[in-house]
Amino acid sequence: MKHLLALGAASLLFAAPAYADPGKWTDEPVRIVVTFPPGGTSDLIARVLAQYFESEFGQKAVVDNRPGAGGTVSADFVADQDPDGTTLILGNNAPFTIAPTQFEDLPYDPMGDFTHIAYLGASTPALFVQPSSGITSLEGYIERANTDGITYGSSGVGSITHILGQAVDVSLGIEQIHVPYQGSAPAIQDFRAGVLEAYYDMVALNGDLITEGETQPIALASPERSPLFPEIPTFRELGHDIVIENWTGVSGPAGMDPEMVQTIHDTIEAIMQMEPVIEQLAKFGIAHTEMSSEEFTSFVDGTITTWAPLIKAANVNGG
Amino acid sequence: MDILYSFGNGLLVALEPANLLYCFVGVFLGTFIGVLPGIGSMAAISMILPLTFYLEPTSALVMIAGVYYGAEYGGSIASILMNIPGTPSSSITCIDGYPMARDGRAGIALFASAIASFGGGIMGMIVMAILAPALAQLALNFGPTEYFAVILLGLVAASAVSNGSPIKGIAMVAAGLMFGTVGVDITTGAERFTMGVPELRDGVHLVIVAMGLFGVGELIVSIRANAKGEHDNEIDYANFYPSKAEWKAMVAPIFRGSGIGSFFGALPGTGQTVASAVAYAIEKKVSPNRAKFGKGAIEGVAVPEAANNSATQTAFIPTLTLGVPGSASMALVIGALMMYGIVPGPRLLVDHADLFWGLVASFLIGNVLLLILNIPLIGLWVKLLKIPYRYMYPTIIVLICVGVYSLNNNVFDVWLTLVFGWAGYLMRLFRFEPAPFLIGFVLGPMMEEQLRRAMLLSRGDATVFLTRPISGTLIVITALLLVYAFYSAMRQRRAGQNSPSTPEA
Repeated sequence: MKHLLALGAASLLFAAPAYADPGKWTDEPVRIVVTFPPGGTSDLIARVLAQYFESEFGQKAVVDNRPGAGGTVSADFVADQDPDGTTLILGNNAPFTIAPTQFEDLPYDPMGDFTHIAYLGASTPALFVQPSSGITSLEGYIERANTDGITYGSSGVGSITHILGQAVDVSLGIEQIHVPYQGSAPAIQDFRAGVLEAYYDMVALNGDLITEGETQPIALASPERSPLFPEIPTFRELGHDIVIENWTGVSGPAGMDPEMVQTIHDTIEAIMQMEPVIEQLAKFGIAHTEMSSEEFTSFVDGTITTWAPLIKAANVNGG
Repeated sequence: MDILYSFGNGLLVALEPANLLYCFVGVFLGTFIGVLPGIGSMAAISMILPLTFYLEPTSALVMIAGVYYGAEYGGSIASILMNIPGTPSSSITCIDGYPMARDGRAGIALFASAIASFGGGIMGMIVMAILAPALAQLALNFGPTEYFAVILLGLVAASAVSNGSPIKGIAMVAAGLMFGTVGVDITTGAERFTMGVPELRDGVHLVIVAMGLFGVGELIVSIRANAKGEHDNEIDYANFYPSKAEWKAMVAPIFRGSGIGSFFGALPGTGQTVASAVAYAIEKKVSPNRAKFGKGAIEGVAVPEAANNSATQTAFIPTLTLGVPGSASMALVIGALMMYGIVPGPRLLVDHADLFWGLVASFLIGNVLLLILNIPLIGLWVKLLKIPYRYMYPTIIVLICVGVYSLNNNVFDVWLTLVFGWAGYLMRLFRFEPAPFLIGFVLGPMMEEQLRRAMLLSRGDATVFLTRPISGTLIVITALLLVYAFYSAMRQRRAGQNSPSTPEA
């Protein structure tokens, strides 16, 4: 038996992208730390993962919501845990991409203190304007911004929608007036009251408003058009290379055993391929793309570098 | 007719088995916690808040509301039986309730309190059903400019109409405003007063402040006040049904109390304590039985109870239709709704009509449930009070710690709550009221946020506050209120200067 295991381990080492069977990786229950309070998209994704970890692979898992300070409270907590596979974090752009540039005294290193394990997917924000404004294209938007000025709502200073607004300013050569809200719901409320001229938000969460004609999407910040809303053009095809997506993935503390990382990665990958999971994520506007742990690690690193100038330009720490 | 139709729809929502169950759980829990000395609806709501995250928004709101008015009712029980107000607003009930209990008429007093609470609750509900849609209609034009004006009005109303020293009241509001600025500035992202503590970047959580100042603070005071540790309560169970004369004496005070309570409840920033105090003061002037007030008059129990319960219901009007919490508990309700992505405000009635009317209808059901529940349960409440404090207080502290920890799963919050607990105790010691502090703490950040947003949207033109009709009107009302407050303060001071020369009659 021992030999077989050794043989198995050896063959794993030789197999070049490493492969492990999906399955449970620890006898202890796993804690999936979520950076948001219960009830949001992030929380629901973690709950889907926890449910399938247990039902399909016998790996007990619980969701642990530790909201606060843009996800940095969660990240700081996870960075300090033992790298034994019992603590994972459902990470996203806030603590890993934005915070490192936003906060000078971050208590953790987004790369050095973590093992980035698996990429789950991303949802895409879009630019929305008032249907009554008569603006239907990006050209019209630029013109309006240059003549009358445009006020747009974001879900907060340093949020992904603010960064996107900043990227649009830079790329389109306009100056929109940024009006930050606490989350997208109050921004949309003011937009519907006619107070705001535009806002940026995840396109999938605005499906009802789009179909009811309450809001007019102009352009999408994804590399390609969304399968859910094929009629919305992307910034890229309109000649502006703006790709800003709200990514999410699973990470753990630094120093995890590579073999265990592979098992966790493959287990998550297996779950992401399941039909009900694909459907569930589609509702949040998230399409899964497979990345190896190495690819995911360099992806996270890449977002920090590419977003940094935008975050600095947005002056999100008030300095 | 529209109202009846909407109310009927709401009744169907409220009668759904799940909502009915949560309504029952809410009023039961509320009464139970309200009965505990010093722990009011505020603490009760913060304790169940984490539970509600897992419910449908309507069920959650129905349950929170149930806890809220249940606690208001339960608070009177401790006031009557032990002369310890279970909630701050039922302190007025002590004045006549406790003498009645000493007279051996505890049962009648509890019954009167139940009936008056029921009457007040129903009246408050009717006011809410009729006035809220009109208010919401008006409020459909509310943008950041108007919100700023209405919050300013609430803040001024809160500091002008508080019991105790007005200067201390204003000082507490100002202190609350200052604590409200802790955290990352919403408009620029700058960190303010976080002292490098990441947990403070989102500011101090309202539940922490409330649990600390009210829950822990009151507990420390109660422990000092009841160093002996036990109470003896004898209650005459056989006799709790009021006589015909007593019934007759109660009817008019219940109506008057409900009217006054409904008014103060709907006014953001005043709340039940002010409502019951004012109603009692007025009743004492107009009642034919005024000589017996303070010596066990049944009207003296009925009036404050009717007032604080109707205020409890109408407090939901500004909370839901304007997004302005009338009290700290209402601020928690707003927080709970925000968790569901439901933004309380002018459009709530349109966007979430089911939720609103379901809630209104649940008031009717909840009040009936309370009545059915409480009369047979009087015996149980009394037994609960017989639990020695050495068991009860530690239990309450544990509950508070668990409640606070479960907010963010963070121990830092528990320590912070204990710090605020001591602050609350010191405030009481020096006769500073924690309520104005909490109102400043809740309204300050909201006001700042709306002000800066309105300024951004107007491109820096500050005259919008006066030129837009609704906000202009509100600003004028606020100014008048301030003038009146100064005027009455001056008069009081002059009266105070004269009094030493006029000997007591």
